[in-house]
Amino acid sequence: MAVFEGISEAPQILQDAPKDVVRAGESLARAKQFAGYWGSAEDVIHYAYLSKRYSEIARQHSEQIQNQRRATQLNMELERLRQAVQEAKLLDIQSQDRWLEDQLISLAAAETDRGLVMTLGDVLFRAASAELDASANRTLLKVVHFLQLNPKRRVRIEGYTDNRGDAAENLALSKARAQAVGDFIQSIGIDAGRIEIVGYGEQHRIAENASARGRAQNRRVEILFSDENGQLSNPR
Amino acid sequence: MIRHLFCMLLMTAVAGCASDPAPTEQLRLTEQAMAQARAVGASEQTPALALAQERLAAATEAMKGERYREARLLAEQAELDARLAEARVLNDKSEQELAELHRRIARMREQLGALQ
Repeated sequence: MAVFEGISEAPQILQDAPKDVVRAGESLARAKQFAGYWGSAEDVIHYAYLSKRYSEIARQHSEQIQNQRRATQLNMELERLRQAVQEAKLLDIQSQDRWLEDQLISLAAAETDRGLVMTLGDVLFRAASAELDASANRTLLKVVHFLQLNPKRRVRIEGYTDNRGDAAENLALSKARAQAVGDFIQSIGIDAGRIEIVGYGEQHRIAENASARGRAQNRRVEILFSDENGQLSNPR
Repeated sequence: MIRHLFCMLLMTAVAGCASDPAPTEQLRLTEQAMAQARAVGASEQTPALALAQERLAAATEAMKGERYREARLLAEQAELDARLAEARVLNDKSEQELAELHRRIARMREQLGALQ
């Protein structure tokens, strides 16, 4: 009897499972009826049991319906969140593109047929040596920073000289300078696997070697950047 | 009239009476309720279904012994046990669905947080 009263006073259950509640009430009424006769105690127990079961069924149905309503609300919320995530991802990509552009501009890398190339002048090295001058730090730190922000990018460091002196010595010097730049970048934490070193010696001059100015221009280190997937163009 | 009175007196006894036909229809309803409960996934692990099975077995026994009233009462109780089992299983499933939705929403919120 207590079970029936429990549910008959719960408006939500009445709303969700009206038929079950009615049957619970009917069964209980019959139990009371039989209790009034000199009829069988068995009948009273029987109908009281049925009433209890109907009440429990009503409660279960009602809870289930409540859960389903809640599920509908949650599904809507999930959908809203999904859309928000998509939008955020889109904005993310767009802002990353702009950011990359800014970085490349600050590197002052030029677009060539080999890809993006950054040129380090002769002045960044001590004369005729492969020792990096302190003035190179600022520029090279920019390269490091770029590589840190774009973990998939790689570089090929190419050393060049003018044509004064022994060709073999120039080749060695160009390679040593490229190596010095590579070592510096590595020392700050860029993985060696992302750095290629090559010396071209007197080859691929960009200015005429007749003038001092031209020779100075030819003495350079070029840093060639890979594409965003890490692909470097073929060596020259 | 006297016959009826006689019959009512006998109702306290277990023996069958002319007013107690074989509850074949009720047994059919009970079996249907149990099939429905199983169909949504109730099993012997569900207490209400186990109870229903016991009662149905007892009702079938009573049928064989032509104790029709006993069989009817047992079958009626078993039917409701089975329907309760069905309702419980469906309710449990709806609760699990809610839990899953809450989990997915939490994950989405995390994703969103990481992006912003």
